[in-house]
Amino acid sequence: MSCFVAGLGVLAPGLSGRSNALRVLRGDDAYGSQGGCVPQFTGLAANEARRCPTTARYALDVGQQALEEAAWEAARVATIFSSGSGDLEILDKNCRALIQTPIALSPTLFHNSVHNAVAGYWGIAMGSRASTTSLSVFDDSFAGGLLEALMMASLGTPALLVAYDIPAPPALALVRPIKEPFAVALALCLERPAGACTRIDWAWEPRSTEGSVVDLPGLETLRTTNPAARSLPLLQAIARLQATRIVLPYLAHGQLRLDVCPVSAVTPADHRP
Amino acid sequence: MKESARLEIGHTTLVSALGRGLKQTLATLRGDRSGLQSYTAVGGLVCDVGRVSGVADVRVPGELSRYACRNNNLAMLALETDGFAEAVRRLMQKVGAERIGVVVGTSTSGIAATEAAYRDPNFGITGTIAPDFPYRETHNVFSSADFTLRYLGLKGPAFVISTACSSSAKAFGTATRLIRSGLCRAVVVGGVDSLCDTTLYGFQSLGLLSGTRTRPFSAGRDGISIGEAAGFTILAEPGVLEGAGMVLAGIGDSADAYHMTAPHPEGLGAWEAMAGALAAAHYDPSDLDYIHLHGTGTAHNDAAEDLAIQKLGCHETPVSSTKGATGHTLGAAGICAVAITELAMGAGFIPGTINTEARDPALQSALVLAGRRGRVRRALVNTFGFGGSNCCLVLEARS
Repeated sequence: MSCFVAGLGVLAPGLSGRSNALRVLRGDDAYGSQGGCVPQFTGLAANEARRCPTTARYALDVGQQALEEAAWEAARVATIFSSGSGDLEILDKNCRALIQTPIALSPTLFHNSVHNAVAGYWGIAMGSRASTTSLSVFDDSFAGGLLEALMMASLGTPALLVAYDIPAPPALALVRPIKEPFAVALALCLERPAGACTRIDWAWEPRSTEGSVVDLPGLETLRTTNPAARSLPLLQAIARLQATRIVLPYLAHGQLRLDVCPVSAVTPADHRP
Repeated sequence: MKESARLEIGHTTLVSALGRGLKQTLATLRGDRSGLQSYTAVGGLVCDVGRVSGVADVRVPGELSRYACRNNNLAMLALETDGFAEAVRRLMQKVGAERIGVVVGTSTSGIAATEAAYRDPNFGITGTIAPDFPYRETHNVFSSADFTLRYLGLKGPAFVISTACSSSAKAFGTATRLIRSGLCRAVVVGGVDSLCDTTLYGFQSLGLLSGTRTRPFSAGRDGISIGEAAGFTILAEPGVLEGAGMVLAGIGDSADAYHMTAPHPEGLGAWEAMAGALAAAHYDPSDLDYIHLHGTGTAHNDAAEDLAIQKLGCHETPVSSTKGATGHTLGAAGICAVAITELAMGAGFIPGTINTEARDPALQSALVLAGRRGRVRRALVNTFGFGGSNCCLVLEARS
């Protein structure tokens, strides 16, 4: 099956937004993760913005980047949110509250702890009542979210995928060693967008290879330590504007094969009957 | 397979406070009995819950020992009930393990294991969870699907859908796409959620936990009673299942875009999901014989759901909530409703709204209080969750 990438968004330390990330992935700019990054987003009222957890901040930032590039109307776009571990900061706070006497959980932290809290904030910020789902495939959550988005788009519904994972707090760092935040968004659709874009021909198949890597050392480390950063080989293929086969492992037994092909802007010649 | 061909549902199993398996579930529903009982949580909170007995005694197979936790034990109970695992084995021989996917809905997965690790005296000393703690296999949200996939020996794509209380209804959406895309010929679809302190104290903190016992759609309703459950079914392309009981005629989902915990006051998101499911099924509202309510028993949720049903035009359609019997099983609520609706179709029995004595006069829907005989051919299942996450399924008895 096939679909097109109409827009993308990236945010991580050293990859501050779409343009910067594409330059770094092409090798035009050096990668350096120092300095961190601060998610930027619009749409939430002051009290909701204050309550908005870290995961949702990253998701809103990259999702809005991708929609802006795709020039899609936010309120009508189906969304898929994917995360390997959700919001570990909130989990830690809730678990600590549960060992106090008496137990008093924060209502805000409780409702922010659900895996789909990010989807809830997205809907409120974008005024979107469109179809939405939130999923996880542990370390292969990017591949899982991408598979759901590819299926949706290839069956005819334009879909926005947002994948994110944030670092574990110290209490959980040994069992979930995610050290850097990473968020990525892809706007996928069946109809070819007018501007230059990327086509993905895809298939899910039994595992036959180790999977694609990134050929920039710092980013390869990031790829292996944050589930959302497993998008980097695909992002690099998109950035380099070269036809490339990318393989994303999907659990021990499967893989997502992606034939990534740059497509130039639609010209009048493309409209010949 | 034609794109318009409707997918079939069969080999359903359910373990909840209503009983172990479909037979016990139906018997309890026919008796209008509740499975709720008083429970004292760690930390002293006393409330009614829908608890499944025998979960702690389940022994997962040795090679999956790191997956042992209340949530996966409960999942295994269901997989070994109603002949489900055996039905999957037969299906594997027929279509191949690579062509069967797994999509499981859960809200909290095995979080109780991490709660216990924080309570461990070692955590007080080191301030960290020890590296040998099986986080991936127990607590991580994907664990429920991972365990199910490994236990059954399947080789297709797997997902956990976690959209709070609509999780295992939305799981049918992903499963449908796996089949429509040609990746799978059948998908194991399920929902598993087990009792944990996070949800008990969390719903208490929001003032949404019933002080007595949940009474959906009653005037004096004061909140939910939490339950635990695991259920599975197989969704498949036509002709693959032996003895499918239902077809999935339509799915509708929507977001409220309103509030993180409160539903849209006019039930707008709920109505959109219900109307979307009916449109996908090419049904008129008058085609429905029954609506299995989300019916959680909180003041606002029930009022919003009632308004949505009235806006849909289902003024006379029998509706009931079974959460007074099972408790609110959160991520498993969808699969509970699907299993109970399948029983209703098979038995010609409309379950009652157990534990509710009289309908709130402010609500309009045709609430069934005591279970009664009734023909159910076409039914709507409602699920609505935190974050304004709505999903409705239209089910039709297979002739």
